Amino acid sequence: MALVTLEGVGKTYRGRTGAWEAVRDFSLDLAEGEFFCLLGTSGCGKTTVLNMVAGFEQPSTGRILLDGSPVERPGADRGVVFQGHDSLYDWLTAIENIGFGLRLRGMGRRDRRAKAEHYLHMVGLDGQGAKHPSELSGGMKQRIQIARALANDPRILLMDEPFGALDAMTRAVLQGELSRIWAETRKTVLFITHDIEEAVALATRVGVMKRGPGGTLKAVIPVDLPFPRERTSDAFMAAFREVHALIHDEIHGAH
Amino acid sequence: MTRFTVRTERFATIAGYVAGFVLLFLIWHLAAVYLVKSVLFPPPIPVFDRAVVLIEDNILQEQIVASMRRILQGFLLGSVIGIPIGLAIGSFRIVRWLLEPWTEFFRFIPAVAMITVAVIWFGIGEESKIFLIAYTTVFVVVISTAAGVGAVGRDKIRAAQCLGASRLQVFALVALPATVPYILTGMRLAMANAFVTIVAAELIASNDGLGKLLWDARLFMQVEDIFVALVALGLLGFLTDRVFRLLIRAFAGRFNATV
Repeated sequence: MALVTLEGVGKTYRGRTGAWEAVRDFSLDLAEGEFFCLLGTSGCGKTTVLNMVAGFEQPSTGRILLDGSPVERPGADRGVVFQGHDSLYDWLTAIENIGFGLRLRGMGRRDRRAKAEHYLHMVGLDGQGAKHPSELSGGMKQRIQIARALANDPRILLMDEPFGALDAMTRAVLQGELSRIWAETRKTVLFITHDIEEAVALATRVGVMKRGPGGTLKAVIPVDLPFPRERTSDAFMAAFREVHALIHDEIHGAH
Repeated sequence: MTRFTVRTERFATIAGYVAGFVLLFLIWHLAAVYLVKSVLFPPPIPVFDRAVVLIEDNILQEQIVASMRRILQGFLLGSVIGIPIGLAIGSFRIVRWLLEPWTEFFRFIPAVAMITVAVIWFGIGEESKIFLIAYTTVFVVVISTAAGVGAVGRDKIRAAQCLGASRLQVFALVALPATVPYILTGMRLAMANAFVTIVAAELIASNDGLGKLLWDARLFMQVEDIFVALVALGLLGFLTDRVFRLLIRAFAGRFNATV
């Protein structure tokens, strides 16, 4: 059975200026342990899909199942890494941010600290635990977000363009780190991006979305390359070209 | 930042303050001695001499204590009332609909105008002053607290929700700490209002306090006494505001560079 199932999911926003169909008839099964990249141009509704899986928004049509049960609200079984780092708690240190979910569950101080240290180490921030978010760089803040989500041991990790605001080199480093962490934990990931190279570098499957409004899944391509991936290899280039060909039509005409 | 630069920065700040005050008193001195040349505008030195006399006679301290006690009591009362109301307005739409007309109505009736009813209701004793200070405090604190709750980032709340937070946990562990800098900023503004209000209240109806000192000095034409009271007010306000800024920085300075 799939871990997450989206069945004919649609989302229409109704406002003063009329209705806006963000997502139309979106169906997808996510298997346990896979790294799924949802790739699409801006405004195609990919973030809306993630928000519905997270439970922040409700589908207008269709349904979303997690382990066979409908998703109704946000919960600890779905960890989210947000695009911006506004989601970190400025008044807490890095280690306290990572341990926040454990604190919510009433885990004792010492256990919490040990577990948070473990994830701090996993994201490569040893020795930075006592710093506050304002003292950390953009890349470090995203590492803290990833550690915070992982420390809570969710069933699935939902990542909404987590590296979109970073410079190209930091982004490449963090993509490598995320690949390594995923290989260590084999956590199921749904990763939203508009970056073809990022999708091919990270994913075991790439889903390409049609452009919005009424964005839907156009095609799903397995990326069967070994990790760590060599971006200059012929196989990588071939996968890149395949995905690029699919999204090419969506780029032209989108803004 | 290294420890060294923190220390030099702090030193530079203090040196700047000292220089600023020296400059202020220097200009005052020059203006009084060379420009105005009137007994109605004494230079700083006789004012300080007078202050020393008032301190030796324990008069100045008594007035300061009387005024500051009222300010602190009314200010704390107003804050204790204002913070939960502000939190409720910011958290629940129905409370906002119900109470926003109140705050928008009363905040345009200045505390100075309320002196009349305060004296009628509470007489000229402590109660009327504490009422006025609390009155002037409460609306500023309510408005800034409510604004703070409204300004908590959506992703901060969502992050807590998908880490498993209940509604109560979201409020206590996310919304409340994120709002504290706004609450403190509101209290800081309210404290400035409290100084305005206490002087007005003591001018009109009081047996002691800095406002009373000002009023008596005017009656008996003791110009130096007036200036002693004015300088005391300025210094007290300055020091109180410093304390607030330190508090705000201790709690929020890490992420709120504007305070």
